[in-house]
Amino acid sequence: MTDRDPDFSDRVTRLERVWANLPGLGTLAAVNHTTVGLRFMVTGAAFFLVGGLLAMLMRTQLALPEQDIISPEIYGQLFTMHGTVMMFLFAIPILEGLGLYMIPKLIGARDLVFPRISAFGYYCYLFGGLIILSSLFLGIAPDAGWFMYTPLSGEEFSPGPGSDFWLLGITFVEISAMAAGIELTVSILRERANGMSLSRMPLFCWYILAMALMIVFGFPPLILASVLLEVERAAGLPFFDVAGGGDPVLWQHLFWLFGHPEVYIIFLPAAGIVSTLIPVFAQRPIVGYRWIVLSIILTGFISFGLWVHHMFTVGIPLLAQAFFSVASMLVAVPTGIQIFAWLATLWTGRVIFSLPMLWIFGFLVVFVGGGLTGVMLALVPFNWQVHDTHFVVAHLHYVLVGGMLFPLMAGLYYWLPLLTGRMPSESLGRLGFWLFFIGFNATFLLMHLTGLRGMPRRVYSYEAGLGWDWLNLLSSVGGFILAAGVAVIIIDVILHLRYGRRAPRNPWRADTLEWALDKPPPTYNFVSLPTFRTRHPLWEHPELPESIASGQHALAGAEHDRRETYGSDAVTGKVREVFHLPSNSWLPLLAALSLAVVCVALLVRTYDVALVGVVAAAVFLLRWGWVNGAHPGMAPLSNDEPTDPPLHSRTTDGPGLWGMVVTLMANGTLYLCLIFGWVYLWTVAPEWVFPEDPRLPLSGMLVSGGLLVIAALLQHRAAKRLAAGNAAGLQARLWQAAGLGAAHFAVLLWLTLEAPLEPTGNSHDAVLLMLLIYLLFHGALAALLTAMQALRVARGYIGVRLPYEPVVLRPLWIYTTGIFWLGVVIFILLPAGWAP
Amino acid sequence: MRHRAVHPAHLVLGLVVWAVWFVAMYGGLSVACAVAPPPVADGALTWVNGLLLLLTAFTAAALLYAAWRCWLAARAEDDVSGDARSRFIPVVSATVHLSAAMAVLAIGVPTIVLPPCP
Repeated sequence: MTDRDPDFSDRVTRLERVWANLPGLGTLAAVNHTTVGLRFMVTGAAFFLVGGLLAMLMRTQLALPEQDIISPEIYGQLFTMHGTVMMFLFAIPILEGLGLYMIPKLIGARDLVFPRISAFGYYCYLFGGLIILSSLFLGIAPDAGWFMYTPLSGEEFSPGPGSDFWLLGITFVEISAMAAGIELTVSILRERANGMSLSRMPLFCWYILAMALMIVFGFPPLILASVLLEVERAAGLPFFDVAGGGDPVLWQHLFWLFGHPEVYIIFLPAAGIVSTLIPVFAQRPIVGYRWIVLSIILTGFISFGLWVHHMFTVGIPLLAQAFFSVASMLVAVPTGIQIFAWLATLWTGRVIFSLPMLWIFGFLVVFVGGGLTGVMLALVPFNWQVHDTHFVVAHLHYVLVGGMLFPLMAGLYYWLPLLTGRMPSESLGRLGFWLFFIGFNATFLLMHLTGLRGMPRRVYSYEAGLGWDWLNLLSSVGGFILAAGVAVIIIDVILHLRYGRRAPRNPWRADTLEWALDKPPPTYNFVSLPTFRTRHPLWEHPELPESIASGQHALAGAEHDRRETYGSDAVTGKVREVFHLPSNSWLPLLAALSLAVVCVALLVRTYDVALVGVVAAAVFLLRWGWVNGAHPGMAPLSNDEPTDPPLHSRTTDGPGLWGMVVTLMANGTLYLCLIFGWVYLWTVAPEWVFPEDPRLPLSGMLVSGGLLVIAALLQHRAAKRLAAGNAAGLQARLWQAAGLGAAHFAVLLWLTLEAPLEPTGNSHDAVLLMLLIYLLFHGALAALLTAMQALRVARGYIGVRLPYEPVVLRPLWIYTTGIFWLGVVIFILLPAGWAP
Repeated sequence: MRHRAVHPAHLVLGLVVWAVWFVAMYGGLSVACAVAPPPVADGALTWVNGLLLLLTAFTAAALLYAAWRCWLAARAEDDVSGDARSRFIPVVSATVHLSAAMAVLAIGVPTIVLPPCP
């Protein structure tokens, strides 16, 4: 590296300048994945410590019978916040952060495809997390449990703002999860290095792809449920109130539709760490690559078919319980496949028992234990017996800590040299592991017995002499040993920053591409982008680090003074485009700040301030959309543009289109959940009634829908003609589509305002109103974005050489039209023809 | 000519079918029990169980057929390219379809023995 020719040094200097974060406070405008991923992980770790502190307070209270160190009210807040912080503010975000940080480095890219969305997601997570946490310090934290069952979490039984903090804060945080889900899905599919076909993709990427898609489909049910419950609490619309025609069990369905897949959203990336580390330390390729891919896909799907096993005691028909019971046992099969593949790899390899492998060993022991009790809980009669006891608490900690935290710690020790360039202390690390492992098992192995002896969860105290005393005491002692282990690990990590020995280039002799990077990695990752011919690039081509750093591969430098990386075919990995990526931007921070204002304003119910926040957020987000494509701040048209491959904004199939489709998949899931809620209440809620007169005139809906169809057809035709190279009349067509879309919106708004709805009086009208708001939002959005594109045509940002943006918007029009007519059929025609 | 069953959509198609089947089973059972529950005394010999079993058998058969088509595609791919890696998608797809069929049969078995609504 010392003998670089001056030309090449200039190119690297230019690359560094183009990819650098702004100095000082300007670093808050950073969008590159290395910075954002690290922020996610550090913030997640901080929340972990908060969640751990809450756990220790609970263990202190339960150590001896009949203690009154903590009041029942505070205890309720502690267990609710412990679960909430650990699940929503630690486990998911830290794994998202790991994915955001690692994926481009593993697939040979310089950044993720939507860097501003990552940064936006981080700030939503940070602000949402701080808002939720603030309730604890104000003494008004939610206390209805981390799954917030209604009616306990409703206005009647939780009248304070605690539940609102949870509902609004979690919804805010979930924006970040959705952002990461969309970002990671599109990045893994469309941004892999040249030649990295699906069959050559590192297993970690398969796991993260599954996680990302599970987020896309798994989170919308909870987002909908949170919105409905918050609307019920704030405005009195009775979605979960039996007297008003709602049903509290609907909350359970929506929550667990999210909640069970979430366990696997957490487990899969952690299993990805295991599948990455075991071959490295066994010094051989993993056994059964295809089998592991199969098991990832199976887990991703089957885990969505288990949610009712959390509800076996609410009164569901036996046959339905049997479906979920069998599905719950089936999901153990793909997990078993992975475990056998890992064991076979270790069995046939030459295992090096270094520090990360210690944590993998801990994972195998603890997670298999948790998996076995999971199969026990899948059996309905056993589930009934131990429901809501400490046995369930022990099981979930074995699964979540075993299945997520142990692999995460293995990953921390494995990738720490990459992050910091220094090696951790082997002796301190081993001490930390053993304290953690012994403390964990002392706490939770015994808790199985406490549960089998009948101790219910969520009690702040218990009488002496029930057979629970010594078990609780030992569990608490174990908890403190575990906490000591965490403290040792923290000390180790802090000390290694100063005293750790310098890490060699590839300290574990790993096979994956991240170890070809400098340590710590530069923000652009690779000076030049290599071509792949193997699953094990560094084992088969150990010279790669040098050839990448010396610019011997593609796209060396930053020739056009903009951030660029390759875009590739989703299946073959063959390069198709050059993705130009946004640089530092304040817009993500400003948009997230505006949404934080909305969140806080809704909490204190100052709706005019919330409206200001919404408008501000919309302005920032539209500005964000404006600085795209051929905008001077992005990639303006020039005469020396790359053509082979071309810039993505000069094509009709860039990452924006994929992002739009994945976003609509999430959106469609939310809409299907709304339909599910409608049908569920219709068929199950005892007080559900259909009004005698129809709420919406069919003729009016037909007019509104007709306008929408014509608008969508116009937009479709404009996009199609432009893609074929014909821009004649483009701007007029887009204005026409926007105008007709606005007319559709106006008619629908008029119908909504004129409808004799009584949304606070019955759940029928309440759900119908939510549908109308949903349709209005989409109609307005499609019209607004099309109008913006018409303006962009005038500015020269869309045209024959720039056909991309209308193609990206087309799926939104199709979706908006689809949900409108589906809504008409399900919410108007079906009841008219079928209801009594 | 490349076989249609090598399309990457097959990597998930079998389990999408499984998911739709699963929702139809649970949703259909719930609606049937809400609208026209059969007498409890009939045990498992009811029209609801019959329909659910038929749906299960049809879905499993379709998935097994899809698995076989993907397997044939994998063999054809091997003959065309001679590269084991090009078999990756059809082979994994075949096992996904097969696994989905097994899942359908396993989850559908209780309809033979359990009454639908109590």
